[in-house]
Amino acid sequence: MSFAETLVLLAALYAGAGLLFAMAFVWGGVARIDPAARGSSVMFRLLMVPGSAALWPILMLKWTQVKGRP
Amino acid sequence: MSVKYQAVQWSPYKRRYDLCLAIGVGAFLITFIVVSKLAWSGSNAIGDEVLLLRALGATAIVLLHLILCIGPLCRLDRRFLPLLYNRRHLGVVMFLLALLHGVVAIGYYHGFGNVTPLNSLLDGNTQYRSISAFPFETLGLISLIILFLMAATSHDFWLKSLSPAVWKSLHMLVYVAYVLLVMHVALGTLQAERHPVLAMLLTLGVIVVSALHLIAGRKETRDPGRAQRTGVWVEVCGVDDVAPDRGKVVDFPDRERVAIFRNGRGLSAISNVCAHQGGPLGEGKIIGGCVTCPWHGYQYRPEDGCAPAPFTEKLATYELKIENRRVWLNIEPMSPGTPVEPAIVEEVDRG
Repeated sequence: MSFAETLVLLAALYAGAGLLFAMAFVWGGVARIDPAARGSSVMFRLLMVPGSAALWPILMLKWTQVKGRP
Repeated sequence: MSVKYQAVQWSPYKRRYDLCLAIGVGAFLITFIVVSKLAWSGSNAIGDEVLLLRALGATAIVLLHLILCIGPLCRLDRRFLPLLYNRRHLGVVMFLLALLHGVVAIGYYHGFGNVTPLNSLLDGNTQYRSISAFPFETLGLISLIILFLMAATSHDFWLKSLSPAVWKSLHMLVYVAYVLLVMHVALGTLQAERHPVLAMLLTLGVIVVSALHLIAGRKETRDPGRAQRTGVWVEVCGVDDVAPDRGKVVDFPDRERVAIFRNGRGLSAISNVCAHQGGPLGEGKIIGGCVTCPWHGYQYRPEDGCAPAPFTEKLATYELKIENRRVWLNIEPMSPGTPVEPAIVEEVDRG
């Protein structure tokens, strides 16, 4: 497997995992880490999908920290 | 400002701005295609797919130049400020045009082989040591990833979630994307189209963007408003230098900038840095008794630096005093949200 193939495969895995995370995050997590997102519109949540899929490790960390709070 | 996030905080101004943007982009695309059809006809005719991807790419890079010019233009002349207020929509539109350009280009040049288009793009040409055959598509792909990250995180949610410092650093990558895109276009033009006009236009764009940034930076460092320091209290300007309902920015070499505002007869000083996105408050104006950020309309009371309820943002405040119609500022900031009595400007007896 060439370097390019490895890179594309890793990017696809990262993006795939990100998309799955983003679906869960925009419906459940976004309002947990930022109260201003509570009750926000479907459009707002859809707008958050690309960024959530791209930055999912950071958001997962934040979501986990919020979940851990009493 | 909003308690609850919205997808887009529409205002009549933003609608007009976006309408002008849509008309401008449409007009540029049509003009580019028509002129190209006329310039390259007969045996030199360009295929529709190539023409489309060139038109999309050209529109995107022209828009990127415009976006990069807006910041320094506003620092040089306040009349450009309305262009700044909705710049994030310009950025998102520019990314979408660049994305369409990338999709058409990858589909057209790499979509018909027996390997995936991205593998074909990355593996098809690996002559990274050659200038004339450099794989310029890779540069475009990297800049597209940067532009995607910026467009995807352009909402206020990201600013708060990532923190202003991280968000700002991420969005400063636009300059990396710009350099990569200039190389992408220059090397691509070198390989595909050797018409001198294209190289000249690109060079002109780079010169304009660079020159505006240099001139704006030079103006800021030489601003006559830079204060002369004598102890804690510093004489910063005359009372008439602060226009009614407007601000004046005072620059200190090793401190945060301060914005002095005139609200009625009172002068107040707060930090020049908006708590929302670091916008230059001194370039805003007083609306409804509150200092209003020129970038996104966040508001603060001039006398205590607090956002009006139900918002909770607070800025540092500063003490002012007036002696012989000269304004003196205590350069030590008060804690964010500390009330400070405005310095009252006495009317000059003109009788």
